[in-house]
Amino acid sequence: MRTSQATTVRIIASALFLLALLVAVPLLIEATGRTDLYYTLTSVALLSIISAGVWITFYIGRINIGQGAYALMGGYVSAILVTSYGMSFWLTLPLAGLFCAAASVLIGLPILRLRGVYFAMVTLVLTEVARLLALALPVTNGASGIVSIPLPSGISFFGVTLVPDFATLANPRLAFYIVAVLLMALCFLSLYRLAHSRTGQLCQSLQQNEELASSIGVNIAYLRVIAYALSSFFGGVGGAMFAAIAQSIYPSSFTVADSVNFMLNCFLGGLGYVLGPMLGTFVLYFGWDLLFQTGEFQLLIFSTVLIVLMLALPNGLLSLAIPRKRSV
Amino acid sequence: MEQVIANGLYLGAQYALIALGLTLIFALMNVLNFAHGQMYVLGGFVTYTIYGQLKLPFVVALICSGVTLAVIGALMERFLFRTVVRRSKREESTMLLAAATAFFLDAVMLLLFGEKQRGVPKIVSGVFASEGVILPYDRIMVGVIAILMIATFMLFMQYSKPGRAMRALAQDRIAAQLMGVKVERYSMIGFALGAMLAGIVGGLLVSITGVNSGIGGPISIKAFLMVMIGGAGVVGGAIAGGFILGMMESVGLATLREYGDVTYLVIFALLMIFLSIRPNGLMGKPWG
Amino acid sequence: MPDLLEVVGLTKRFGGLVAVNNVSFTVRDREILSVIGPNGAGKSTLFKLISSFLRPTSGEVRFKGERISGLAPHVAARRGVVRTFQETTIFKNMTVLDNVVTAHHLRSRASLAGFYFGSAAARSDLEAFGASADEILAFLGLAAMRDEIASNLPHGHLRALGIAIALATDPAVILLDEPFAGMNYDETRRALQIVRKLRERGITVLLVEHDMSAVMNISDRIVVLNFGQMIAEGTPAQIRQNPKVIEAYLGVEDESIGL
Repeated sequence: MRTSQATTVRIIASALFLLALLVAVPLLIEATGRTDLYYTLTSVALLSIISAGVWITFYIGRINIGQGAYALMGGYVSAILVTSYGMSFWLTLPLAGLFCAAASVLIGLPILRLRGVYFAMVTLVLTEVARLLALALPVTNGASGIVSIPLPSGISFFGVTLVPDFATLANPRLAFYIVAVLLMALCFLSLYRLAHSRTGQLCQSLQQNEELASSIGVNIAYLRVIAYALSSFFGGVGGAMFAAIAQSIYPSSFTVADSVNFMLNCFLGGLGYVLGPMLGTFVLYFGWDLLFQTGEFQLLIFSTVLIVLMLALPNGLLSLAIPRKRSV
Repeated sequence: MEQVIANGLYLGAQYALIALGLTLIFALMNVLNFAHGQMYVLGGFVTYTIYGQLKLPFVVALICSGVTLAVIGALMERFLFRTVVRRSKREESTMLLAAATAFFLDAVMLLLFGEKQRGVPKIVSGVFASEGVILPYDRIMVGVIAILMIATFMLFMQYSKPGRAMRALAQDRIAAQLMGVKVERYSMIGFALGAMLAGIVGGLLVSITGVNSGIGGPISIKAFLMVMIGGAGVVGGAIAGGFILGMMESVGLATLREYGDVTYLVIFALLMIFLSIRPNGLMGKPWG
Repeated sequence: MPDLLEVVGLTKRFGGLVAVNNVSFTVRDREILSVIGPNGAGKSTLFKLISSFLRPTSGEVRFKGERISGLAPHVAARRGVVRTFQETTIFKNMTVLDNVVTAHHLRSRASLAGFYFGSAAARSDLEAFGASADEILAFLGLAAMRDEIASNLPHGHLRALGIAIALATDPAVILLDEPFAGMNYDETRRALQIVRKLRERGITVLLVEHDMSAVMNISDRIVVLNFGQMIAEGTPAQIRQNPKVIEAYLGVEDESIGL
């Protein structure tokens, strides 16, 4: 069967890619001594997880510029649980995601009825709401934020250490990098599964025509909320990881500009491709970093390149490599 | 109380003018113009240069702000948005383009004018004071000019030939085309007009609050709020949204001052509740 | 024949306008019933009320004795009352086959999670959907186009695809929204054929239509609306002679009435 052959090829390619990220990249970094790249690559991995969440909302036909709100929320949830309740970071990571998912159900029920630019604008406002809430609530400690969050502790089972205490590590940056890459792999695996299952097909039916979808018996309100919750889960997990790495979180850690960037990452990579958000994040982040040397012209060059890319490849970078495989 | 209402009206008039430009562009092109706030700031800087630096009359500066932005708007439509609308599979792409344009304008303004807050000398001095209301004359003047411009704009849309063409276009692009409306031409004119409105408000307000290159984004968010309140793509909605937001801000600042930024939190919360009841705003049409 | 669908005192107001005013009629099992009326008579409002896309101001629609109005479209569909749309409403960027496969949602035995993780039920569902979709496409003469992207289909076939999507839900009653609008003589003839074949499959057909001649040709019974009110009900022969109907259609060119 040709399809199973293609699947095998894809699995091998993904495994090689993951192996390269986990082994070859660290070796290269050690060899060249550019240990600062760990932080950059970790950020790319985490940002691509958060952007993948945005991609899911695009997948059901909603323009989501509110992901920063959930990243911020996830960061705070994890930070508060670790600092105030002494919980293990590894437990707070899924809890942050679940908290965001639950919050997004409550928020999503009314706002997911909005479409097009209305949804886009409301979600944009949501990011601003999250920032103002973080400033105003007592539990988030206002503008000074939550600082000196301890590094993730270890996990051991019956005396066997599964994950070492990060504080004892000589190179916690490498450890964070590996965790981020593994999370990213997990995230994109689940995204791939979504896009290639019937569940994804139903999501697409929402994107293409909600009336028709409901006429064939799809409970569109339910499916929308599920997708949005999943999207926010990714946002929360990514935000929590960021807070752990920076060991701090502030109301300004994720702002409207970040929300816009998450959306840009998806667009730039290509909305029709599962790997779109990953590639988009990588290119945007590295592009921005490379342009650092241009000093005051950084933003000018960056935005010009962005506009040119948009004009040349309006359907995303991946539309270049994969002409029109599966149009979403 | 009178003071709060007077402040609200003054804020509302300028807000309505900003929202009008945004809603016009949206109605004609289905583009959510992220760069609207940046256009406003740029208008402010043009007036700052011509009136504040070159010492030419304020009116000349204001006209220059309008013309500059109109040209920029027209160019943006012609060379950026038109291309992307035609070539992209998803209509959301224009949003990316608008965001990138916003970054670009931010960068240009940062290079040209720096980060500092820029202001100009007062256009008229003196303060109007009666029992209960104290309002500087320049604010009254700006408010009145804004209201006059709103009226002019509405008359223009109602009775002029381009105005009628644009209304037809906003209602149904394909039908308008069949009726012989030159779609591309009027899209460009509409975009230019929307940008011009933003530029003029920027020029007006630089004389009162000043501008700096960082406020574009927040202004855009405010404009989105107004458009959501009133209903996207509807002229009356934009005006209503502008005045409602102006009033809410004025009331909020007067009553919630001691709690800091809570005013906006309350406004946002109210908006969420409002939109869950009326997803298309006050006057918006159902949107697919 | 028992009454399958009952429309009881259905009324819909939009602000001050009464779009549908106290309309009552019944649809029998395996009947072809048409709702006609001049423009603005409230046909499409009635149509949306029956398919639960709109909530009635008062009155209700019952299917097999149970209320289906004022719920949600997907609930009405689950009970077996499914509507079609006018032609551009399809899943544009999917292939023709995927359009129909997707529409098998109501026949799934696996859950969303089951489909996501590829459970045994999901796999057998998918197989069944594929086979059923192929059967439906063949039934409607779309088999040759199964791998085409839906938005590339020629006009005439778009409407057939719309019906194929509805058929995939395995409906008891199918509501057709102006199935003959904008068709020439040949296309109309083929569309009429399809409607008859739907009935042969055991499906009750309720259609809303403008084209009188096609309706006269195919319907068992006809309901006529004017200004939101039902002004007549009966067989095509009765309707043809009803003075109220003739009056309502006065001012419209004879040709389009088809009297």
